[in-house]
Amino acid sequence: MTRKQKRLSVILGGLVFLGAATGLTFYALGQKASYFYMPGDLATATVQPGQRIRLGGLVEKGTIQRGQGATVAFSVTDTHKSVKVTYTGILPDLFREEQGVITEGTFGADGVFVADSVLAKHDERYMPKEVADGLKAKGVWQESKSE
Amino acid sequence: MVETGHFALVLAFALSLVQTIVPLVGARLDNQRLMAVGGPVAVTGFALTALSFAALASAYATSDFSLANVWENSHSLQPMIYKITGTWGNHEGSMLLWVLILTFFGALVAAFGSNLPASLRANVLAVQGAIGAAFFLFILATSNPFIRLNPAPIEGRDLNPILQDLGLAIHPPLLYLGYVGFSICFSFSVAALIEGRIDASWARWVRPWTLVAWMFLTGGIAMGSYWAYYELGWGGFWFWDPVENASFMPWLAGTALLHSAIVMEKRSALKIWTLLLAILTFSLSLLGTFLVRSGVLTSVHAFATDPTRGVFILCILTLFIGGSLALFALRASRLTAGGLFHPISREGALVLNNLFLTTATATVLVGTLYPLVVEAFSADKISVGAPFFNLTFAPLMVPLLVMVPFGPLLAWKRGDILAVAQRLMAAFAASLLAMLVTALFISGATVLAALGVGLAVWLVLGALTDLAVKAGFGNVSVGIMARRLAGLPRSVFGTALAHMGLGLTVLGIVGTLCFGTEKILSMHPGETVELSGHTLRFAGIYPAQGPNYSEDRGRFELIGPAGNPVGEISSAKRFYPVRQMTTTESGIKTLGLSQLYISLGDEGKDGSVVVRLWWKPLVTLIWGGGLMMMAGAAMSLMDRRLRVGAPSRRRKRIEVPASAGMP
Amino acid sequence: MLFWVIAAMLTLGASLAVLLPLAGGSRSASPSGDHDLEVYRDQLSELDRDAARGLIKPAEATEARAEIARRILRLDTAASSSGLTLSTRPASAMARLVATAAVLAVPLVSWGLYSQIGSPDLPSQPLAERLAKNPADSSVDELVARAEAHLAANPSDGRGWDVLAPVYLRMQRFTDAAAAYRNAIRLDGDNAARQAGLGEAIAGAAGGIVSADAQDAFEAALKLDPANAKARFYLAMALAQEGRTKEAAAAWQAMLATLPSDSAWRGAVEQALAKSNAPEVASAADAKGPDAADVDAASSLSPQDREAMINTMVAGLDDKLRQNPRDPEGWMRLVRSYVVLGKTDQARDALGRAIAVFGADSEEAKKFTAFAASLGLTATE
Repeated sequence: MTRKQKRLSVILGGLVFLGAATGLTFYALGQKASYFYMPGDLATATVQPGQRIRLGGLVEKGTIQRGQGATVAFSVTDTHKSVKVTYTGILPDLFREEQGVITEGTFGADGVFVADSVLAKHDERYMPKEVADGLKAKGVWQESKSE
Repeated sequence: MVETGHFALVLAFALSLVQTIVPLVGARLDNQRLMAVGGPVAVTGFALTALSFAALASAYATSDFSLANVWENSHSLQPMIYKITGTWGNHEGSMLLWVLILTFFGALVAAFGSNLPASLRANVLAVQGAIGAAFFLFILATSNPFIRLNPAPIEGRDLNPILQDLGLAIHPPLLYLGYVGFSICFSFSVAALIEGRIDASWARWVRPWTLVAWMFLTGGIAMGSYWAYYELGWGGFWFWDPVENASFMPWLAGTALLHSAIVMEKRSALKIWTLLLAILTFSLSLLGTFLVRSGVLTSVHAFATDPTRGVFILCILTLFIGGSLALFALRASRLTAGGLFHPISREGALVLNNLFLTTATATVLVGTLYPLVVEAFSADKISVGAPFFNLTFAPLMVPLLVMVPFGPLLAWKRGDILAVAQRLMAAFAASLLAMLVTALFISGATVLAALGVGLAVWLVLGALTDLAVKAGFGNVSVGIMARRLAGLPRSVFGTALAHMGLGLTVLGIVGTLCFGTEKILSMHPGETVELSGHTLRFAGIYPAQGPNYSEDRGRFELIGPAGNPVGEISSAKRFYPVRQMTTTESGIKTLGLSQLYISLGDEGKDGSVVVRLWWKPLVTLIWGGGLMMMAGAAMSLMDRRLRVGAPSRRRKRIEVPASAGMP
Repeated sequence: MLFWVIAAMLTLGASLAVLLPLAGGSRSASPSGDHDLEVYRDQLSELDRDAARGLIKPAEATEARAEIARRILRLDTAASSSGLTLSTRPASAMARLVATAAVLAVPLVSWGLYSQIGSPDLPSQPLAERLAKNPADSSVDELVARAEAHLAANPSDGRGWDVLAPVYLRMQRFTDAAAAYRNAIRLDGDNAARQAGLGEAIAGAAGGIVSADAQDAFEAALKLDPANAKARFYLAMALAQEGRTKEAAAAWQAMLATLPSDSAWRGAVEQALAKSNAPEVASAADAKGPDAADVDAASSLSPQDREAMINTMVAGLDDKLRQNPRDPEGWMRLVRSYVVLGKTDQARDALGRAIAVFGADSEEAKKFTAFAASLGLTATE
């Protein structure tokens, strides 16, 4: 190979590499990004059983049931509709009735959402951002300036 | 005292304006006096910022609630250590720490920059001053920690309990030392662009600064990871959270910069690329600051409704990134390109390293920003988490890690890959053996786990091979070998240590992810549980009182083989009344390199408690490896070749070697 | 005043940092070529070291040496062709202008900006200093803070909790009030006032809803004192909130019949009765008991309460000094506190005890006597 050909092949190799990396990145974005829904959105969205999503809302009052061992069942609501969720594990410290929560997992065939992670991570106003935005959009939650 | 601090801050801002303009004009007019202003002003500016920071810290220490910032983030009953660390546990204070470190680095350039050409030094200080001026203005205009309250409240609102931890004392300062340390590389690059040429001393200077920044950033990230590990109670060490990514991207780019700077220094090649990389690395630091500080992560919409801070930082971001890249586009063609080299050579290996690292940086960048873009332009909200990064980041890292041991063994200009491969045969055989042993003798080992262990062993032994080869292993007697080993440049040890640390981190990650076990169960006092060969007895829950919290402490006894307790682990639920917040203190017991990790859940009606237990084999290596990387960087910094003296009149002429004329 | 002096000194220092280099002798700097040469020289010596150690092969070393040498040669030609000289040019008009502007900018920008955003007249206010002030000069918030600090140090002081609890209630810090009442009950035992107060705190924390917990507390209070007006009032309120308005009205009627004519509760009960006849459901928030309604919630404190708090604090100090008597500062604070409270006898007693602790001839005793005299108090009569 001449010097020119060598250089060309190096550049081509680099471009192929970058192309592959870009392709992989966008494939992964399509496959692995999980969408966020509120219970009310589920009627219009088509979520397959087994598809990973994030479900957010408020923990409905009086629905927290502790079952066998560490399994907990509760309902997530946006005050219009609610979805039953089961979760096995330790609930976060901020998990309370009528507080915002985000669960991540998949729907089972029976329509119960099986969460493998529950977040009650919050900003200063004790509300996960997605939930706050969602509730605001539905006019349920008003931003209160309590100070 | 408090107002003195406030005044010092304003004065430091005024000085930063002078530092930006005067040396720059001086360099332009070739006026020595104007250029000389930069140094003393940078040092004085640092002293004033330090005074300001000390004033704020002392206000925190004495619970001076006449400062709104202290009132919002402190409480008189907090232990003294958390009162002081609370200084930077909030937005305003942490921005003050940011500029303190920025001016500190500026002062360092002023103090140790006597061996730099005067105009380069003046330009570097001017750019550093400009960054400082922008951030001082940001603090004074939108995030002033010295806003007063009159009358002063009698009690503060407490520091967020999650931040009441020693991790806060160490993590942000280390992280900022790293983040902001890259500002020096940035200033050097912009200064070179302003001058329109790259001196040899430029190349020499950028590398130690990169090393310093990289060392601290490595420590900051490792510390942050350990903090999240024990404080959040989820047992994870990395969550691919946007805040974590914000510090990880400059690290990846900085690692690339560290390696390309070697090529530039040794071979005067890759000059333009290194310069660009230095600009990009600090740009990513700025982007990280923007992401964390603007509220854009909380929500794009929150950012849009309360835009003062966010828009301000966005302007700083645009000004510096846009400005430097525009300057780069204008001037890069005027810079002379460097030497040539064969693809298979040390340079070639380092280029490959850069290719992988920058691509990985780009992947993380896309994953971090994509949700923000989607949210801004559509109604959808998505999250990009671990599954995305596992799919994209890991395939980029694995080949890179496989190639690491080859790099230091290849010769400059033209390398012999076969000879290198031969030298690495022993390391390769050992890692194959490690894979086989893992696969055959450790129960539950998957193919991936075995490959991971092999990779880690390969990295560690590859680094040792490098040392052995350079010491002349096999060719010379043991005595000579020892002498040669001791005489090796420190940077060779630095490289070996850092690469070994990388191997240990990989080993820790593989051990934890592939061989760790986990149990969630509800336990009554007196019950025992078995986890990976360890027996734990739940002794019960005991209430206790802390300085500003009350807690329920769950005690667990580690039962030895003879049935007697050999250790105690306790995990607690803490309640902080001021903020009405509960936190979980995880219980961790280190056994060798591994850890038992306990997290307490809710109490049941019948006195039982939900408990989550993990056995995390080799987990400490994750951060131990990070420490070793830091040690490697420190070792490299001590190398004598990084100490280039100022030119002196006496040694003006040097002998041009006789071979110079020969091609 | 001190602040302005410091500010002026800082400004002076900062201006000097700009001024001195500008006024300093014009040091001739070495041209950048010299710096590059230095680097290359260093690279050459490093190459020699590596070659001597056998880290690189002789052939590679020769090649590398040639490469560095070529750079040095290129450097020499570049320097001579660009005609770089060591002479500094005379300062141009532009340079003088920039220098003047820079020197002026430091004081102008700093003082101008600070005068806009600073609060030069506000002194620092460390908490310890504020708390060391005389209790009689303190605001309610400060009194509460001192009581809190005292209780944090002595959490088993039941009387302290008992005093603090109603203050919390009035400041509408209901959760704190409930905790304080519980502590008082735990440490100093049950009584009707504490149980009723606890009930009110729980109800207040729930926004006026008399919950089951609150009811328990009120019922406990009634057991201890069947005539406790607060407990009866709130229990009737609980009935009203459950929708049993008739029963509630009956309970309130019964209350009116038995309440003494000067009771502060009469007004509240009558109001509640009027409300219960109206269609909407009554709530405690609309008809507050006199304790909550009479007092402006957050800031003011009745003179009695104020005095009660100060008394507890002084008593606490007295106790402390009985245990650790060798604290001259403490004794003086105690004496002064008693004088301020108008308890001359106790002040005199304290002064006597203080002198006894240190001995009548000691330095401290003289100090005490002088101090007492300054307050218009004599040791013995």
